[in-house]
Amino acid sequence: MSRQPFDPYAILRELENPRTFFVVIGGLARVIQGSDELTEGLDIVPSLSQENLRRLGRALENMNARRVDSRPLDLSDLDPQREPVIELTSNFGQIKIVPEPAGTRGYEDLRVRANRERLGHGVRPSVASPGDLVRMMEALDRQPDPLVLETMRRVLEFERRLTIER
Amino acid sequence: MTTGELIRSARLRAGYSQKELAQRLGMASSSIARWETDTVEPGFSTLRRVLQACGFDIPPVLVAYERDPERDAQVQELQDLSPQARMERYLARLEKPKRS
Repeated sequence: MSRQPFDPYAILRELENPRTFFVVIGGLARVIQGSDELTEGLDIVPSLSQENLRRLGRALENMNARRVDSRPLDLSDLDPQREPVIELTSNFGQIKIVPEPAGTRGYEDLRVRANRERLGHGVRPSVASPGDLVRMMEALDRQPDPLVLETMRRVLEFERRLTIER
Repeated sequence: MTTGELIRSARLRAGYSQKELAQRLGMASSSIARWETDTVEPGFSTLRRVLQACGFDIPPVLVAYERDPERDAQVQELQDLSPQARMERYLARLEKPKRS
């Protein structure tokens, strides 16, 4: 499959239509929270309930999502230890499913601090908090981009300052 | 990152529950909870003991710290935008190289 142009609104709309529960993480979440990076692709942490995975599966099917390694896509048996990230291509660009991002315990851990952000075009996804985004970057095995990490630490500082001032 | 987040991150990376970590340290799990929520901040030596129980350490090294006013201004500018405006700005930047 050739690389499709990235359309995050289309992906989010498809995911939200069947009321799939997920938290947006990674580059796009950082952009929404105030990072200046350029990233392509949408990374999500889904709720691992069977019903939610069925909904997610349907949404992905609607986007013609396929695994980049060409193996069949089976969401019924997600194992973060065996496969920490499932990389997909779709009609609207790349999607990564991350059941349990580094430094976290997955959806239930992230959703409590995530905010549902109004992004326009009728989409309102849950986006991981700046604190959790920093935590995930710091827990990565590989070295994160120091500029992005520094920016996110400042975003976090900014958020805390606002909380204190309120 | 706050002290609480540092403890939480170390604990999760070690794969311990709050109760398990408390047992390893010989203290009540409510102490761990209070630290992790930044309700109470442990002293430096206690912090090191907690991190060490998780298999990590925080070396007492002094490093120069300087603010970067340019970066601060950039972050401030983006924080003044709504999440929707940030998204639109990002998409416009994403499109730019493709057009040129």
